[in-house]
Amino acid sequence: MKLKKTLMSVLVPLASVILAFVIGAIIIAALGGSPVQAVAYLFQGAFGTPNNFASTLVKATPLIFTGLCACFAYRCGVFNLGGEGQFIMGSIATCWVATTWGIEGPGAMVLCLLCGIIAGGIWGAIPGILKITRGLNEMIVSIMLNYVATLFMGLLYTSVLRDGNVPQTAAVPDATQLQRIVPSLRVTWGIVIALAVAAVVQYFLFSTSKGFQLRAVGLNMTASRFNGFSVKKYILFSFVVSGAIAGLGGSVELLGTQYRLISGYAVGYGFDGVAMALIAQLNPVATVIVAYFFAVLRTGANTMQAGTGVPTSVIDIIQALVIVLAVAGFALVKLPQIRQWLAGRGGKKTAEKKEEK
Amino acid sequence: MDIGELILSTVRMATPILLVALAELYSERAGLVNIGLDGIMSFGALAGFMVCFITGSPFLGILAGAMGGILINMIYAYCTISLCAEQIVYGMAINIFAPAVASFIYRIYFGVSSTLAQDTLMKSIAIPYLKDIPFLGKLLFDQTPMVYFAYLMVVFTAIFFNKTKKGLNYKAVGEYPKAAETLGINVIRQKYVACMICGALAGIGGAYLTTCYVNTYSDGVVAGRGFIALSAVIFGRWSSGGVLLACLLFGFCDALQLRLQIMNTSTPYQLFQMIPYVCTLVALAAFGIKKAGPKANGKPYMREER
Repeated sequence: MKLKKTLMSVLVPLASVILAFVIGAIIIAALGGSPVQAVAYLFQGAFGTPNNFASTLVKATPLIFTGLCACFAYRCGVFNLGGEGQFIMGSIATCWVATTWGIEGPGAMVLCLLCGIIAGGIWGAIPGILKITRGLNEMIVSIMLNYVATLFMGLLYTSVLRDGNVPQTAAVPDATQLQRIVPSLRVTWGIVIALAVAAVVQYFLFSTSKGFQLRAVGLNMTASRFNGFSVKKYILFSFVVSGAIAGLGGSVELLGTQYRLISGYAVGYGFDGVAMALIAQLNPVATVIVAYFFAVLRTGANTMQAGTGVPTSVIDIIQALVIVLAVAGFALVKLPQIRQWLAGRGGKKTAEKKEEK
Repeated sequence: MDIGELILSTVRMATPILLVALAELYSERAGLVNIGLDGIMSFGALAGFMVCFITGSPFLGILAGAMGGILINMIYAYCTISLCAEQIVYGMAINIFAPAVASFIYRIYFGVSSTLAQDTLMKSIAIPYLKDIPFLGKLLFDQTPMVYFAYLMVVFTAIFFNKTKKGLNYKAVGEYPKAAETLGINVIRQKYVACMICGALAGIGGAYLTTCYVNTYSDGVVAGRGFIALSAVIFGRWSSGGVLLACLLFGFCDALQLRLQIMNTSTPYQLFQMIPYVCTLVALAAFGIKKAGPKANGKPYMREER
């Protein structure tokens, strides 16, 4: 039974991806392009050369962080849609420390990362506090805070921290930046930090008693309360940690990839994170895989546009379709009728995959 | 600062939020929490803009916005009502899906680098006699027809939910679907109808932005108004009168921030742009009560389940 459940949670996203690609191919064909060629360019762009492969990892790094951020909070039953705001606040703190405190070097880098974590955690704590004290809907609060954070960042790069004529901040000094793993490739230690965070989250959620309690709160708040778990404490904790993960992500992104705050920084990372966490069924390891997949689509999209003229926004559609189909698929396999039907025929799982769509 | 100008602009800014908040009200009264409003709005905004651009008629644009909204919301409806998918999760999926589709269609149709396409804005129509009321007449009765539509909808909604049998049946679905079903109300159908109304109103709210407010479409034109509308419903305690007041408050914040931007060009404009969002948070923190909505809000309804 457990095996079948695991199988389903792999098959459903896989089927959604395939179906999304089929629809994407139809759109490409309708636009007068060649789907086969487009996919070939897509994968060449993502894996073709070591450099492309590195770019994909660079793109995946922030997505892993925001995905884990959404994942962690929702494990505790609260929806953190504010990943983007927390990510930005982390970046802002990092940028401020790195460019105005006049410090440089690896020590400064660690300090920057810490400040990013703290800033993200504080920004994440706000919806948590408002939820447990005033009973406010955490989704609305975190969304509103996203807009506030984005505007605050705009305020900084257009006036307070502006550097020169272009609306952007000064760049992080070379010595403070995250170093590359291999000097010839763009990928930095940021990806290692991201994977480490994923491993820690995975360990915490599934191998510690606190993690178990946190998940219990997420599954059934009432039961947890009667079991003596401090539900409010866990909600606040999950928000702070979730914010801190996003904040660290912002810090890593600024120190390793972007180096400065600029218009359009981090747009959409928060919602992407939520999408990834949902497709990954709130599993941290799966979130990493989905984030990587999203990054593949993105790096490949540019090559595809250059090579075939198919616009990159086709990729956005494919991504959006994956989430729509996957969530519908998960709901479908949970329906009582389908469940019975699945239980009725033990071994024929591959047949079901086709049936459910 | 010109007070009349400010009120005029408040009414204008409150209208899209009001339309969308009413959409959410219809949805939640049938027990469906739809947080995909932002997505529906952006699709409605695109549909409205395209049709208005092609035909030159803002009214057809509004109609297209409504149709587009229904279309998108039917995906949500099927998955949450028939497949019993979690409503919050699916609303989120719509929020990611619909803007992507809208932006894709816009780019395919207008190309990436073409000059900014502009459509015709809806003209305001003054209501005879009423517009001659000193001061207020100019402010309230010389607006675009969509503003009148929104306010008529508020009155209609209030009467519908409180004074008609159909409205009470509708509310029963959101409060206690099982009891409603035993009384012969077709819960599933009612929920689908709710989704259609919700999609249409939210789509109109989105189309309002591109046919009555600005004459261009850009990604992010909705700017979180769907979520502000969502909080307006909570803040307005699920009654149409309350929702109206909440929307006027948020509309006022929006109008005020625009005024302040124009008046103080030396202060960074982002500071003023934060006002509507911060105000929403403060209003919710001060007056938002969690347990006031329909009882079965957000719960999937399975007919066979006991």
